[in-house]
Amino acid sequence: MRLSAEQVSIIRQTVAEIFGPEVQVSLFGSRVDDSKKGGDVDLLIESAQAIGEPAWLAAQLAARLERSMEGRKVDVLFLAPNLRRLPIHDIAQKNGIPL
Amino acid sequence: MSLPKDLQERLQFLARVVVREVRQLRETDQRLFANGFGLEEVKRLDSAPDLAERVDAFVSRFGRLQDTVGDKLLPAWRSAVGETPATVADNLDRAERLGLIPSADLWLGLRRLRNQMMHEYIEDPSVLSNALNTAHTHLTVLTDAADALLADLAQRGIIERS
Repeated sequence: MRLSAEQVSIIRQTVAEIFGPEVQVSLFGSRVDDSKKGGDVDLLIESAQAIGEPAWLAAQLAARLERSMEGRKVDVLFLAPNLRRLPIHDIAQKNGIPL
Repeated sequence: MSLPKDLQERLQFLARVVVREVRQLRETDQRLFANGFGLEEVKRLDSAPDLAERVDAFVSRFGRLQDTVGDKLLPAWRSAVGETPATVADNLDRAERLGLIPSADLWLGLRRLRNQMMHEYIEDPSVLSNALNTAHTHLTVLTDAADALLADLAQRGIIERS
């Protein structure tokens, strides 16, 4: 996994501030692969509760993380009972590393 | 205070662009959201090309106004008032402190929202609907910032307002 301990801590803290402690956040995508370089930070957030305003919460979380991680691009994917499950969710769950 | 002529001309040009962009964004916004834009409308997009074009117009006009105000007018305004424009985030923090925008985080969140407004890419109707409605409800964040900057430039005699 190519995230520093500080970055993991920023992500966990920001996610908890917005969603509370009940959600699980995982890293997926190219940053789970130690042999690659650079790349976006792809995050999967799994919630047992419905997520109201999914687009707006994802955008606000991504914007806040991008600011605190020096402009590194962050993408946020939600998995929740009220949202449609897509093939990307299977990939994210299969390759994801819980933070 | 005398401004370099090229900066004054740039501000006058940007002011004309922003006035047009605000007007056009408001027009599309009124047409698209006249009867609300919920899941039913999202599901109709594939079979209603006029509606899909209206969504495209709204999304691109929203993005253009935000870019013109945040990335062009705001830094040029900072130069005009004797400040030094810096990074996007720094300019937005300054705009927040001056009350031109409610918050830099909100502005950056709206910017980040845009790729979830692309109806060809977003496969969950509730995500697309939420993205479009969020832009609609926050439209005044963009138009108020534009109005405040233009009013200040007019007060300083840098631009004329009709």
